[in-house]
Order: sequence, then structure tokens, then C-alpha cells
Amino acid sequence: MSESFEPKIIGFLCNWCAYAGGDLAGVMRIQYPPNLRAIRVMCSGMVHPEVVVEALCNGADGVIVMG
Amino acid sequence: MIEIRPSRLASLLGVHRNTVRNWIRSGKLAAKPGVGKRYVISRSELAEFLRARQVSAGVIQELTDRQPGVSAGAGKTRYQKPDIDREVPMSDKPVGSVMVVGGGIAGIQSALDLAESGYFVYLLEKSPGIGGNMARLDKTFPTNDCAM
Amino acid sequence: MNIELLTLSEIVDVAGQAGNFTVTVKKNPRYIDMDKCIACGICAQRCPKKVDDEFNMGIAKRKAAYIPYGQTVPLKYVIDPVNCLYFTKGKCRACEKFCPTGAVNFEDKEEILDFSVGSLILSPGFKPYDPSGLDFYGYGKIPDVVTSMEYERMLSAGGPFQGHLEKRSDGRAPKSIAWIQCVGSRNTNQCENGYCSSVCCMYAMKQALITETHIAGGGEQTIFMMDLRAHGKEFERYHQYALEHNVRFVRARPHTIDPGPGNSGVSMRYVTEDGRTMKEDFDMAVLSVGMEASDDARRLAEKTGISLNHYQFAQTSSFKPAASTREGIFIGGAFGGPLNIPTAVAQASSAAAEAARGLASSKNSLTREKKYPAETNIAGKEPRIGVFVCSCGVNISSTVDVEAVVEYTKSLPNVVFVENNMFSCSTDTQQMMAKAVAENELNRIVVAACSPRTHEPLFQDTLKEAGLNGYLLEMANIRNHNAWVHQKEPEKATQKAMDQVRMAVAKARMVQPLDKLQVDVIQKALVVGGGPAGLSAALGLADQGYETVLVEKTGQLGGNALNIRKTAKGEDVGPALREMIRNVEANQRIRVLKNARLTSVNGIVGSFSSDVEAEGKTEHIEYGAAILATGGRETVPEQYLYGTDSRVMTHLEFDRELADHAGRVKQANTAVFIQCVGSRNEKRNYCSRICCTHTAKSAIELKEQNPDMNVYVLYRDIRTYGAKEDFYTKARKLGVKFIRYDPKDNDPEVYQEDAGLKVRVTDPILGLPVVIDTDYLVLAAAIEANEVSDLLSLFRCDTNQDGFLNEAHPKLRPVDLAVDGLFMAGMAAYPKMIEGSVSQARAAVSRAGVILSRNRMYLDAVKSYVTEQCDGCAVCLDVCPYDAISLTEETIDGRSVKKVSTEAALCKGCGLCEATCPKQGIQVHSFTNNQLRAQVRAALDLPN
Repeated sequence: MSESFEPKIIGFLCNWCAYAGGDLAGVMRIQYPPNLRAIRVMCSGMVHPEVVVEALCNGADGVIVMG
Repeated sequence: MIEIRPSRLASLLGVHRNTVRNWIRSGKLAAKPGVGKRYVISRSELAEFLRARQVSAGVIQELTDRQPGVSAGAGKTRYQKPDIDREVPMSDKPVGSVMVVGGGIAGIQSALDLAESGYFVYLLEKSPGIGGNMARLDKTFPTNDCAM
Repeated sequence: MNIELLTLSEIVDVAGQAGNFTVTVKKNPRYIDMDKCIACGICAQRCPKKVDDEFNMGIAKRKAAYIPYGQTVPLKYVIDPVNCLYFTKGKCRACEKFCPTGAVNFEDKEEILDFSVGSLILSPGFKPYDPSGLDFYGYGKIPDVVTSMEYERMLSAGGPFQGHLEKRSDGRAPKSIAWIQCVGSRNTNQCENGYCSSVCCMYAMKQALITETHIAGGGEQTIFMMDLRAHGKEFERYHQYALEHNVRFVRARPHTIDPGPGNSGVSMRYVTEDGRTMKEDFDMAVLSVGMEASDDARRLAEKTGISLNHYQFAQTSSFKPAASTREGIFIGGAFGGPLNIPTAVAQASSAAAEAARGLASSKNSLTREKKYPAETNIAGKEPRIGVFVCSCGVNISSTVDVEAVVEYTKSLPNVVFVENNMFSCSTDTQQMMAKAVAENELNRIVVAACSPRTHEPLFQDTLKEAGLNGYLLEMANIRNHNAWVHQKEPEKATQKAMDQVRMAVAKARMVQPLDKLQVDVIQKALVVGGGPAGLSAALGLADQGYETVLVEKTGQLGGNALNIRKTAKGEDVGPALREMIRNVEANQRIRVLKNARLTSVNGIVGSFSSDVEAEGKTEHIEYGAAILATGGRETVPEQYLYGTDSRVMTHLEFDRELADHAGRVKQANTAVFIQCVGSRNEKRNYCSRICCTHTAKSAIELKEQNPDMNVYVLYRDIRTYGAKEDFYTKARKLGVKFIRYDPKDNDPEVYQEDAGLKVRVTDPILGLPVVIDTDYLVLAAAIEANEVSDLLSLFRCDTNQDGFLNEAHPKLRPVDLAVDGLFMAGMAAYPKMIEGSVSQARAAVSRAGVILSRNRMYLDAVKSYVTEQCDGCAVCLDVCPYDAISLTEETIDGRSVKKVSTEAALCKGCGLCEATCPKQGIQVHSFTNNQLRAQVRAALDLPN
């Protein structure tokens, strides 16, 4: 693995907490690596396992469900 | 009774809107405060006043003959408030609007509750923006949520 | 929509009377045209004049052309004529020269406007106390002594130091910080503020805990206080949380602060409870300043002709907590005295209810409803997506290459229109968007800007005005989730922004128009509980024209107030309560059901129904909203010989003794009060709030009847918050002796000896045990909420660990329950005095009025729906937290077919069903499996 490895991480973020936390991180200008691609959901519980598996099969290096 | 806006009347007569307001305040123009920045006046009194100011008959006609509900702002951008838009009933009933003085968290809450319950609200704030002291707080306990 | 915001405005005069006031308002010039200003900030950049920033409490600078803070509403700049060089020196006008929209107008004049209104609500707020006069604290001289408001700005990520704590003396990070409580409160020596500001103990703990996260290693936080006043809901637990996080609490009021070594930090001197003089160094001292009435508030009171109390706060009464001394003018927020945020919010709602009371006959006469053009039918049409990429001034464009994003977006499938905006949320951009929709026949919109959590409603509104369904919008959050958090990696941020837009476009291609759920509102209300809270609620609702059913479980209205003689303010309870009960029973719109209980609850907000069993009969009622005022009660003590010795009694029992046997009480030599009996322990981990005031008042009464009587109060912390501090002060002046005890190592011991009743406790000041021979022992028994779990399970709402009703949001929705359409009032929410119950009941009325005032309401359309694939396996039934799914069975072609069906009104769109279903038989609108999948594929740059 080369040093410039940039993982692609898919995030499912609950609208009421994790997504709001992401917004707050922005307001507070907390810097973090730009590897996350966030998908807003109304509840982390709505993410079907199949969608997660499919993401991993199709090249995502990680999936994070936050809620 | 019809509603007028001082700014509109002022531009018609070629005077400053404050002049129109001064006329109203001093009683030269027999209009009473209505909602927003509008005033209410009877058709005949407005027509008479305009005639005395030598406004052309056509313009007077246009101003005083408007049908209730037809906006004079039609055709303009949507943010243009109508200058005369409806007839207003005058009665002894209370006025269905409330003025809230102070735009802090309390004033905002009062204004929202009233506006959502069927009352028109004027929210008065002394400073350039609302938010009051709560906007200054970093976080609030017990959840340590951002105060914004 | 029905609020006209008048900034830079103040009242000049109020004429007329309740129902018909004419208010004259002076509107000061802004010197910037609000219609033209796009809040780009160039005027402030170019303005050469720096002045102290009042928003940041003077610890930072702002320009003479400025906005108070980043999220100011309205987001329009203003020129401060006191400091502007053009106004003071006659030249400059740099802002005018550089303003891209020509919004600067130095000719702007003040306006005098008349408004006709039915009522006024005054909520001018408070002023943080200015400690400059307290020279012994060195504020203004010692750089590391700051006020709590300044400290709040220092902690804030949006503040002048971006949330990086630093000492103002040498710029180094502080390690040890001390808070000094009661600065400008509970003080009649250096200032006139004899009251407790009620909020400082809690905010000091909050600041200490937040500080811990701002200092590497956590630092050391010390709070110097006299009594710890944690008298609200969940406050005790917050205190314990602070203790767990090693916040040190010292019972002392420091008398002097000197500069620390090398003028850095502070050196503090104080005397401990047992009389030792201490000297301790800290890196910083924060003065926990109290609230006081502002000069503006005083002037407002003069202009509106209302009376103030001796602390310059607005005068109110217990049974009309929002009414001023002038009819038609009401008091909101902290104008009536120091309040914390939730109480101020509730008080504001109650003022709204009071203000609306006399105007009910003119309800809906001046309000307007927004009209939208008819929606364009897009069924079957190929998606034509318009993308608007926002620069947000420089917020996005300084990190993300917005132009590159625009160019890239043009290549995406179905995208037919792309544009960059300076501020997508500005009024003129909104108009332009509507134009672009019409000209390009757009049928899906993507806005790449900030967070949908804050701006989705605004853009949905734009779509609706352009004739598109609001749900045809998708947002890409390239500000909060990108530009702001990747400021040092512009290239990667730009790449991410492209990905975000691609994901949004992929989803936008699949979104469908949705209709909001409509509910016909039953414009009637239910109130449960007939104490002061329930009675006030019912009266308030009836005054607004809503038919109300009041359900009381006993045979008598009045609740606990029947046993209370006087309010905290000294008014007689009896006559006021009897009048309230009379008014309720005589009111045409109120039906009282006594000895009644609810046996069922069905439906949702706007449309509930219940069966009520009352005096043997069952009847069916319908209502749009309900207020739960089920009350609380004094508990029965389990210690201190209660029940064994008749001289030991609770507060309510002693009140009766005072009323019925005044002569006997007067003869007594000694009376002892013990506080916190059954409160603030493991079983009831909260403060019962009202007992300290009750004790102080009873003690005063004893001393006034017999000045020679020995009156002792054994307490843990005296919590006479707000103006109730006056009672504590007075009790001490009259010679009541207060002895602090600690249940852990110095719990009072009560025993009988030779027919006498004795109390033994160690006085922490003397350090010696004291034995008191007493005639009366009054126990401040804990207050708890009435047990109503059956009722709560019918309504599907819950309580906190202590049995008090949970609010929807602890700060901003203090009387709303988590279930829409339900509200709370009185002791069911937390122990409170009559004044608080009445105020909260009125607040609940105001909140319920928001629902009841309309005959139809709309609910969000993001709900679950059943698809063809459903085979009735019913796995989703168990996971649904809202019981919104049921199994149905019908016969088709002679075969029995099972399917689930969802109740849209109950569904909250959480999608647990969607994630559980093995065959996509149930989905959530706007968040279907396929839509999420499309976003995933777009994120990975795979074709959809």
C-alpha cells in the first residue's frame, strides 16, 4: 500500500445527531481529513445492511453509520 | 375605508414620506394607523385631499376607485407591498395584532407563538439584529448544546 | 410571515388602551438599504474604523460598518453613526465606494412610525452586572480577571479566540481557573442587588465542564460559592457530573483578588467556612456576574407607564405572572426578574397567551397565509436538474474552487443548468432561482451550499414559489461538511465538493413530489388535573374560544393549593383560588368532569379522542391538543421520628398548625426546621425547590409573632432563588439561626429525652456539636410528581428518572411534551410555586393555541409506505417504535393476501422498517433503499 493511500469512506449520518454534529464541527472549524462522503438519513436505523455490504463490495474502503 | 401607504402617496405627490406622515400626525390628512406601515382613510376624504393638492383626476380615480382585493402592486416584483389593497372594516373590536418589544429569546418565543396562533406581530428590537444575550452563549447545559 | 421585524427601533410613546393601542416607534437609520445588502461583508472589510465589539463584551474589535455576529437575523450590515468616520469627521465613505450593490445610503433618516396593536409584550431582557465598581476583585485592572459573559465569548468557537483559551496577560493557555459566584447578586453592600440571579451556579458549572475540554489535560476548575443553587430539573445530576469531573467546590466568598506573580494570573484570598484564611493562586478568575435590570428596560417602563419593583424589575403578581400594572401590557422573559433560558421561554409563551386573551374576537383578522402557485405536474418527465453552487461570500469559495465545481457539474447526467451564487440564500438569488426554474423548465433542484438542517425549509419555499413541489430539492453541504473543515486542503476539498454534488444529483434524479399529510384539527382541548395549573390552563383555553374538558381525578377542584395559605409573594391563596374555581365552573366553554379518569387515548396531534370514566358513566371526547397538569404532592418523611412524635411535622402540617393553633405556636420556645428531607438523596436525586422559601417564610412568621423564640434551620444549601432571597435575608436579620449539615458525615440526629424532643447536629462554623431542645420540628419533606403512569402510557409519553414529565427540548420547548399536541404544566413537570404553575399553564395554553387556532394542519411528508414487494411477513411490526404499522389481510381471487399497512399520522419516518425488511416491501419517501444506493454509487463514482 502506497503512502498516499486515500481511503474512501461512506458515512450514513443521522439527521438529528451525527449530521448535526458534522454541522457543528463546521461551525467550530474543527479540521478533519476529507475522506468521508456523508449521506444524510433520518435515523441511523434506516440504513439497510444490504446497502452497507454493497458499498463495501463496490470499492468503499470503509462504511461508518453514525447515530 | 381604504388603506394607503405614505411612501406611495409621497411619491405621487412629490414629497418625502415623512411629510405625509407629518400630515397624518397633525391631522391635515385624516388617516388612522392601520397594519404595517399603512394607514386607513375614507375614500371621499382621500379624494378631497388629493384634489386640494391639485392631483390629476385620473390619478385620484385610480387611487380611490380600486376594487377591494385588487393589488396595486400587480405586475411588479413579488416583494412590492401593495399600496392600497383592500377595504378595511372599522369597528370597536380589539386590534388583532401585538407588539413585542425586545428580540431576545423571550421576545422571539412570544412573537412566534402569537403569529402561529392567528395574531399579527410587530417584533421591535433596539439593536441591529435579534438574538439577545442567548446568542452570546457558547453552549447551554445540561446537554451542552450550542446556544445558536 | 405574520411577523414584521423592526430593528434599530424603540418605543417613543404608547397611547390608547387595552385592545386598541397606538404605539409610536422611532426607527433609527441603518444607513444600509436592507433590500440591497447581500451581506458580503465588503463594507466591514473596507471600513477603517475599529471599535469595541459589544457582542463580544468588548474583548474584541469590530468595524463601524458591521453585523453583530455571523448568524445575525436579519443578516444585513449596519453603520454605527457614533463611530463612523464620515459621521464624526466628515469624510471616508469607503464602504459606499466599495459596496457592490450600492446599498450604502448616508442620507438614511430616522422614521417615526405609528402602529395600532391590541396588546404589548415587553421583553427587554437583562443586563449582565458590571463588576467595575468592586475594586477588590481588580476587574479592569488585572488582565486575568474576566466576567462570565466575557469568558463565554472566549470559550466560543465563533468568538474572538476561536475557542482557544488564552490568558489575556501573557497569551499562554491557562491551567487553573477559579469562578467566583454571586458577583453582583446576593449583595446589598456594594450594590443594590439583594436577589439571587438564579442562573450563575449552573452556568459556572457548565463553563467549568466545557473548560475541561478546552485545556490539554483538563486543567483544574474551582468554583467559590456560598450556597450551590441547583434547584431545577436535572440540575442535581449536573452537579454530580461536575463533581465526577473533579470540579472543586469551595464554600467561601473570596474577599480580595491581587495580580499573580509577574502580573500574570491572580492571587486570591478567602476565608473558609471554619474560619481559616487562605491564599491561593490561579491562572484566571472568572466573575460569575448576575443579571440586573437594564437602563433601557427602566426607560421602557417609563414610556409604557408600568411599575417596577424595588429591584427595578417589572412588577407582577403570583396569579397573573405575565401581567404588568397596566392592562393590555404584558411582561415577557427576564424583565420580571432573573430567569434561566427555559423559564424565560415558558414565561414568554405565557405572556403571549395573556396578550392574546383580550384579542380573541379579532383572531385571524390581520394575519395572512402564504399562497403558492399551482404545482407543475412533473410525472413522467425526464429529470431536468438545476444546480446552484453557493460561494457563501468567501466561506466556501476561499477553500473550494467553486468555478471548477460549476464546470464539473455541467458534465453530470440530467443537469441542464448550473450557476454559482454569492449567497444562494439572499432574497435576490431566490428570485433568480425561480426565474431559472421557469426559463429552463427545471424539475429538480440541487443547492450546493450549507446544511439542509438550517436551510432546507428556505429553499423548499423557493421551489414552491416557482411552482415545484418542495420535495424536489436536494442539498449538498459543501460548507459545514467541507469548506469549513478542510480549510488547509483546498484541492481535496474541491474534489470532495464535486463528489458531494454528484451524490446530490444522483439522488435528485430519483426524488419524487410528495404531498404533506393533512390533519383536520379538532379545535377543542383537554386538560388533565384541576389544581392551579389545570384551572389556569382551562381558563386560558376557554378565553381563546376553545371548548375545553377539564378532567379531575378527585371530587374537588383546587389541588394542593387548597392547603396553602399564602403565595411566596404574600398574597392570600384562598380567595384567588376560589375565584378561579368559580370562573372555571361558570365558563360556558369549560366542562368539568370530577372523579374522572381517562381510559383510552387514540389519534394524533390535532385529532385525539378519549373515553373518560366519570362518576360511573363513560363518555367519549375529542380534542386537538391536551395539557397534562397532573400535579405533585408532599411526600411522607421516613426519618427524624416523623409519625412517632407529634411535634415532628411536615410543612403543610405546620401551616395548618399555624392557622389553627396560632396561640400555641406563639408560646413555643424553640422551633427547628430540617431541609431536604427525602430530597437530594439516592431515591430522589433532585431538589424540591420550593421548601427553602417555604421554610424562610415560616421562620419569619414565627419570629414576627414571637421575637424571643429560638428558630433554627438545618440546611444543606439555602436555595431561595431570585427575589426570594429577600426572605432568607430577612430571616437572618430577625435572628433565625442557619446551621449547615451534611447527610454524609453530619446528619442531624433527632431523639426523645425526658419527654423532650432533641436535635443534635455539628455546627460547621464552630466545629462543635449543638443540641437543641425543641417544641416543633418541621421537616421540609420532598415533593414528588403524582403517580400517573397509566395515563402516560395511554398518551405514550414518558418521564425522567425522577418521575417528572420530559420536555421535547430542555431549553427551547420547555412546556411541549415529546408527543406532538401534548403540553405540560405545574408540578407534574417539576416542583414549583403557584406563580410558576400558573405561568407554565399559560405557556401551555399559548403552545396549544398554535395547534388549535387552525382548522387544518400539515405534517411532514417523509413517511413510510408499503410497496408491491410486501408479503406480509410482519418483521417490521416489532421494530416500529411508534406502533405505526399493522398487519392487514384481504381476500383477492379467493386467496388470502397478507400485507402491512402504515398509519402516516403516527409514522415519524425513522425507517427502522425499511432497514429491517428483507425485500424492500416498506420504504421511506425521499430515503428509499434505491435512493441511498444511488448516493453510495455516486460517492464511489460508479454509474447509476
